[in-house]
Amino acid sequence: MPDKADDVRLVERIADGDAEALGELYDRYGRVAFGVLYRMLPGPEAAEEVAQDAFHAIWRQARSYRADRGSVRTWLLAICRNAAIDWRRTRGKRTEREVTIEAAADLVSDARVDERVVSLIRAERVRAVVRELPVEQRQVLALAFWGGYTQSEIAARTNTPLGTVKSRVRLAMNKLRERLEEER
Amino acid sequence: MRSERHPTEDLPAYGLGSLDETEREIIAAHVERCAQCTRDLAQFEDALYEAAAVGAVEIEPPRDLRTRIVLRHRGARSLGGPTWTSRIAQAFIHPVPLAVPAVLALLLVVSFAVVGMNRQQIDTYERALAGVASGRVVALAPTSANPDARAAVVIPDQGQPYLVVRLPPPPSGKTWEAWVLKPGPKAVAAGTSTAGDVFVLLLTTPLGAGDGVAITLEPVAGSQQPTTQPVLLVDRT
Repeated sequence: MPDKADDVRLVERIADGDAEALGELYDRYGRVAFGVLYRMLPGPEAAEEVAQDAFHAIWRQARSYRADRGSVRTWLLAICRNAAIDWRRTRGKRTEREVTIEAAADLVSDARVDERVVSLIRAERVRAVVRELPVEQRQVLALAFWGGYTQSEIAARTNTPLGTVKSRVRLAMNKLRERLEEER
Repeated sequence: MRSERHPTEDLPAYGLGSLDETEREIIAAHVERCAQCTRDLAQFEDALYEAAAVGAVEIEPPRDLRTRIVLRHRGARSLGGPTWTSRIAQAFIHPVPLAVPAVLALLLVVSFAVVGMNRQQIDTYERALAGVASGRVVALAPTSANPDARAAVVIPDQGQPYLVVRLPPPPSGKTWEAWVLKPGPKAVAAGTSTAGDVFVLLLTTPLGAGDGVAITLEPVAGSQQPTTQPVLLVDRT
């Protein structure tokens, strides 16, 4: 598992224009970032294109990273996810890999986890916490996170009152934070 | 600061990125000035993205992706410095006083049959770069004009710098033209090629320390200065 202080030092080096530090950050998180993008986009070519754009965004935004606003892993994956959402919006390809309601993928999966990012024990714990959530809460998290849908869109797609969707999001996020934070 | 209600109800959805734009802007403005909500938001996001890391697809990225990411930024110290767009724009404003005769470089067209498959082109391009024995390799960044384009300047320890390029053949009556971007700034013509797919283009203009390199689409005879926006560029080598 990468050391958080090391991660911050890497971002500082990137902010100073050190391309090798960008490579080192890729060594740590490139695989999981690619896995996130692959899950959100229509295929490997799109994931490859957006991964390059995302690391370019990391290069440009390194100076604005603030450790008090979250870990480097969170910052990096958020940039990747936003890049994927932008790609789908600008290319109009949202429909190509829709997250269907029936097959609403869970927020977590049983796939092997990159231990450089999350230890195996921790991954099991994360899975357990997510699976303790009621299925409808897991569904809204997955639709919002992987599908990039807003609460209003989820309400329309699932034919659920907006207030109910908001409530599920709030409860799920609070539980996730509470359970994962207390064991950190 | 006057007392302001914390957006406790909507902060989790903000962290999830599932608010509509108007709501998002309101929360963003609050978080910007509220230390407590900044802390809470960091915890929501850290938990969410940890779960996402566990939910990511287990897949091996392309082997050369790291190389391409690093090469694209090696030597690209554009944070705060003049950007390629400004340099090119200024090159348009200040014509090159004496154009380098468009002596066609020894156009070392690597013997690749025209391949229609993108994957094959990528492999060919990678092999060409992997064959560089000694020297420096600096990647040019593709622009929105052709995001799939690839090129790298090879600066050998001995001998003339050259470009390894992956671009489609230029349209009829057009050519790909390389430019060396000198301080000033000015763009100096550095060779043309009507080849396509993967090809090598020797730079006919000396490449000084810190010079940039760009490729544009020009009339087939070449131009004295760029007439189109670059498809590939690095502002420092």
